[in-house]
Amino acid sequence: MKLIACTEGHSSKIEAFSLEMIAAARSLSQAGDKVVAFFAGRDAQAASASFGVADQLIAACAATSDLIPAETYARLLRDVIAVESPSLVLVPYSANGLDVAADIAARTGWPLISYVNEIKRDGESLTVVAQMYGGKILAECAVGLPAILMINPGAFPEATPGPIDTARVRMIDAEPALTSGKVKMVAIEVPDYADVDLTTAERIVCVGRGIGDEASIDLARNLATMLGAEIAGSRPVVDNGWLPKLRQVGKSGQKVKPKLYLALGVSGAPEHLEGMSHADLIIAVNTDPKAPIFNVAHYGATCDLFDLVANLSDRLRAGSGR
Amino acid sequence: MNILVVLRMIPDSAGELQLAEDGRSIDREWLDFQLNDFDDHALEEAILLKEAGGAKVTAVAVGEGANRVLQMAAARGADEVVALQCEEDAMISSREIAASIAAMARAKSADLVLCGVQSSEDVFGQLAPYVGALLDWPHVSGANRIVANGAVLRVTQERGAGVAVTYELAAPAVLGVQTASKAPRYVSGSKLREASKTPIGRATPEPSGLERAADIITLRLPVQGGSGENLGGNAETVADRLVSILAAKGMARN
Repeated sequence: MKLIACTEGHSSKIEAFSLEMIAAARSLSQAGDKVVAFFAGRDAQAASASFGVADQLIAACAATSDLIPAETYARLLRDVIAVESPSLVLVPYSANGLDVAADIAARTGWPLISYVNEIKRDGESLTVVAQMYGGKILAECAVGLPAILMINPGAFPEATPGPIDTARVRMIDAEPALTSGKVKMVAIEVPDYADVDLTTAERIVCVGRGIGDEASIDLARNLATMLGAEIAGSRPVVDNGWLPKLRQVGKSGQKVKPKLYLALGVSGAPEHLEGMSHADLIIAVNTDPKAPIFNVAHYGATCDLFDLVANLSDRLRAGSGR
Repeated sequence: MNILVVLRMIPDSAGELQLAEDGRSIDREWLDFQLNDFDDHALEEAILLKEAGGAKVTAVAVGEGANRVLQMAAARGADEVVALQCEEDAMISSREIAASIAAMARAKSADLVLCGVQSSEDVFGQLAPYVGALLDWPHVSGANRIVANGAVLRVTQERGAGVAVTYELAAPAVLGVQTASKAPRYVSGSKLREASKTPIGRATPEPSGLERAADIITLRLPVQGGSGENLGGNAETVADRLVSILAAKGMARN
């Protein structure tokens, strides 16, 4: 059977999770199977330099655009699916993947499982494990082929990057699809890190929904100052406007790897864990003992976060006064 | 402009979730249901668009507590509110309800369908792309700013690492909202009481038209804890331990 691993990139870069999609497809493939990497972007240079683990690379490129909008990506992918008749299409859980996976599922009628962490293949059928309810429940699902799976970044190890033989690369001109597309990209804004760059911070104190209100953020900020840490927030905190967007950790924020990550009232939704689970030392405080953040924490505490912040601040103040 | 905004009631995943006896669903008896957070932002964005350029906003709610949330939607500025009937005590599958939302979008001559980018129950896929594909309308997910200039929409999408991409597309369209341009507004008790008189329309679901072809065999709780050490629930002892842990790593003095 054929497996299509969907990959992404913008400008001249490829997204790191692209290599995870290829690795996932490779891990499911058996003798005689074919792993096809599908890429859509400005040019195929980075893709053909990295996707050597795939048996074939189909690259849809448009030199006029730094990014292919999901609507066009999905249309190009549909054409590839029509020609290649794959049994399985793996789509990353990303901004682009969110629009692509269900679009293809609706137009093909194929089953789709989202937020997939594990895949087991048994001949022509699959059993997959998907996350629900912010990672608090795992759903084991039976899927008939052909099917589409949307894969969580981080669920599979990255394939080793290496060049793919040009004979195994098929180029598609994406220009016509881009021109006739209904969704036009007009701008890409890359944040200005002059103010704060969490990705290089050595210590981070991150507040989640449990902080309760905007005024309480100052307590956490004071603690952060005492620890020489940057203050950061999970998505709900930033969505409420309590902290600026540049201080958001997670899928739609920054991916961080500090030496210390102190999570206060953060439940640890999969999207948050994606951004911080590789920190060297993770300390989590949450009154819910089943909060998924404890699955990645090195130390966990279930006390009230305000009591903890007060006690910890007192001790740090006393320590620095000596 | 006619805007249809979808409001899904989902179990509060900050609360404790327990498995039902059949092992394939969660026990819904004592659960708190609340408006899907992203749908709350979609509603806010709909009202902001109405305030910015004039629009008729129809809110359609599905799930346990739909009436309550529709009154809230009316209090915040929705012009018409409709409850979509659904199977009781079942999760809300976006794949399943997409046909009903698409039919309603046509019936209401919607120019724009807004919903939250995702919900914690959409294991079978997300609503905005399903509805967009069924209607063959353009769709963009992860929207955090929508500006309408007549039928031309400018939509800014959040991507990872703080990268934001802005797209232009023409209505009719379907947008999956991540974050409203402003935080969802608070409504006063008096406004809520006033809005409680708003008649709630009823809609019956359309057959999904999409085969299931995938099924949940079993649900389980993730293995707890990993390898981390539990410091307990006493703030004073936890603080003492944390100071020693941090001091040992040279990150604090004890």
